[in-house]
Amino acid sequence: MHSNGLFLKDVAGFLGSYYAGLAIMNAIAAFFIWRRKNRIGEAGFWASVAAAMLVLASLAMSGSASSVPHLPESLRKLVNTLSGPVNYTAGTTALFAIAFVFRKFFVKPMVAWTVFNAALLLMGLAMADENFASIVMKPDNVPIVGLVFLLAFFTWVATKQAVENDERIAQGLPPLEKENDEKVLVWPDLVYTELICMVAVSAFLLAWALLLPAPLEEPASSVKTPNPSKAPWYFLGLQEMLVYFDPWYAGVALPSMVVFGLMAMPYLDFNKKGNGYYSINERKFAYLTWQFGFLELWIMLIILGTFLRGPNWNFFGPFEFWSPYKVEVLNNVDLPQMFWVNLLNRPLPRVAADAPWYAQIGTILLREAPGLVVMAAYLFLLPPLLAVTVFRKYFAKMGLIRYLVMINLMLLMLSLPLKMVLRWTLNLKYLISIPEFSLNF
Amino acid sequence: MAENKKMSTAEILAAARAAKAAKTEPPAAVDVAPAADTPAAEAPKPAPSKPIAKPAPAAGGRPSVAEIMALARAKKEAEQGGGAAAPVEKPVPKPAPAKAPTLKADGDKPAAKSAAPKVLARDTASILAAARTGAKPGPVSKADAPTRPAPVAEVATVVKAPPAKLAAAPTLPSKPIKTVAKKGADAEADRRGFLEMVLGSFMATGFTALSMTGGLFGLGLARFMFPNVLAEPPSRFKVGFREGFPAGKVETKYVAQYGVWVVNSDVGGLQQIYALKTVCTHLGCTPNWLEAEQKFKCPCHGSGFYKDGVNFEGPAPRPLERYAIRISDDGQLEVDKGRTFHEEIGQWADPDSYITV
Repeated sequence: MHSNGLFLKDVAGFLGSYYAGLAIMNAIAAFFIWRRKNRIGEAGFWASVAAAMLVLASLAMSGSASSVPHLPESLRKLVNTLSGPVNYTAGTTALFAIAFVFRKFFVKPMVAWTVFNAALLLMGLAMADENFASIVMKPDNVPIVGLVFLLAFFTWVATKQAVENDERIAQGLPPLEKENDEKVLVWPDLVYTELICMVAVSAFLLAWALLLPAPLEEPASSVKTPNPSKAPWYFLGLQEMLVYFDPWYAGVALPSMVVFGLMAMPYLDFNKKGNGYYSINERKFAYLTWQFGFLELWIMLIILGTFLRGPNWNFFGPFEFWSPYKVEVLNNVDLPQMFWVNLLNRPLPRVAADAPWYAQIGTILLREAPGLVVMAAYLFLLPPLLAVTVFRKYFAKMGLIRYLVMINLMLLMLSLPLKMVLRWTLNLKYLISIPEFSLNF
Repeated sequence: MAENKKMSTAEILAAARAAKAAKTEPPAAVDVAPAADTPAAEAPKPAPSKPIAKPAPAAGGRPSVAEIMALARAKKEAEQGGGAAAPVEKPVPKPAPAKAPTLKADGDKPAAKSAAPKVLARDTASILAAARTGAKPGPVSKADAPTRPAPVAEVATVVKAPPAKLAAAPTLPSKPIKTVAKKGADAEADRRGFLEMVLGSFMATGFTALSMTGGLFGLGLARFMFPNVLAEPPSRFKVGFREGFPAGKVETKYVAQYGVWVVNSDVGGLQQIYALKTVCTHLGCTPNWLEAEQKFKCPCHGSGFYKDGVNFEGPAPRPLERYAIRISDDGQLEVDKGRTFHEEIGQWADPDSYITV
């Protein structure tokens, strides 16, 4: 690794063109607002933002490392110390909650444009940090940077239409999609669009592949595992799940449940509203469940696994150096250990190795009794309890079978965040731990 | 509405072809009636001489290989002085004109008919068509065949009838007439015989090559099943004398070749030397020995193991496994990877799994 000054010289050119790009983007936006929308005040504001970006660009390219715009050292240290799996997850969840509650505010184009600019500016400032840049600008990780912005954009577009529709529905108007439902022809309208997209995406991928070649590592060896060893980016959420569960559950059962649940969704959904148009108010439960499962439990885990998990799968702050020697004190214990040893001050129930099989099984069951009780309560007691309380209306509308399928899928989905919280707060490794039969939960 | 505005590609092609054909059309074309169902209705020239060109667009817009071939053939004949073929340069409109003479010949020159079947028989389409209709195998294309009522039927019927899909191979007949007129049946038979001979030998060559390739491939496959390599290092190997393993040491130099750590450590009050398998019990990555922290740490999901192999952090559900270890006859330690010992089922108590120091 080179020193910080050398690194800044290397990255200065890129940052200069990055800020210049932002300046051009904002200039175009200002021009658009001026000519098309005829809102001169706003146009002037964005023109001045463009000018500020130009100043940043010239600072970055001035040739002196110290003038490259960057975040102050103290702020970076603060971010590093504050970041951890718990704060990360709680923070993103809170962010989503805020975005959801105040969605009417965030769907305004000018607000979204401001947030977008702020995010880009923050990223530019952060990229002057060597540790941050080395992770974010790694060729494997660039798609995930793109994913963050692309996903934010698509979520925003859908939310915007949903909010508009909700307002129209509240006024007794039909949704926008019903208003303007003129059909177009597959040929040529759709096929031409697809053709153009195909050409554009191919050209983009070609340029990308040439500019950022895929990194090659040394030949694989069964006795040498790279450190950190990461799954393909789209599986990093799964890899993060595997930290909290036995492979059979996080690697096989839970992903299968995801696929099964996605297939079951149309059959579980009894709500006829929102069919063919975006709406949040008319299907709040479905919307929130989906967004939590997708954004928080899949996308956020991918981002966590990509940018914040370093050597030995330790957590690293965004501006922290990825040292393979980072010491993280962890001592996870299973629930039986907690219950028998820590709580009751007794040794774990044990049996001689040559005891008959029923004694073995009985001892294992006794040892795992607390975990079994908790799991039984979670999977068998909660559904009826929820059916008569929170989901009373749903239960009535769905019927027993559909309700049971839905509630089981939901409980299994929620088992992931619950287990994560238990791991972070109580250092709980497994609720049920039967290594004799490779059964751990 | 849409049809009025936009012409499909097929229609545009048809129109272009019709225009071109109208220019180059031989007068013979007059006896072909316009096809009622062709999409070339908007073609710029609805002149009576046009119709011949129409069947082509009906055929699906694009000249098939057969048509191109026919064109080439007809062109050659035209050069050689055959009067029947129309003098057309452009490939696209050709098929239709090429057919016209045939049809005309069929109607006008019954003399040529007797010779025609033999010649035409080379065209699979014609053979099939003839067989299907049971009619006299005149110079018909497969398109014409099904609807052809009689050899002398009006050409109009013939042209109008072809379903669009089949009309693609209208061309071959133009040749037979000329050839027959010139050479006669015997010459044709000879040529076919020659062809059969050549083709037959091609087949023979082809199948010989195929069977030889298959045989060689089979041999190669059989060889592949018995590779000339030793897939693994020997499962029993010596790691040196016990003096090389002082108390507290984790020997990592056998990891790269054998996948084993040889450790001298205190296990439950007993000083033991044991061989740990370098496979994480979570998902099978290779952990690293971190000397400073005195633990094995897996890079994949962060599982951690004490020096004795017992898991204490991360998701690994059970301790690392041990290999069998013993003192061989020459006093060196010998690790046997053929046997593993699991702690969770009490196998670490087995004296084969360690050496007491």
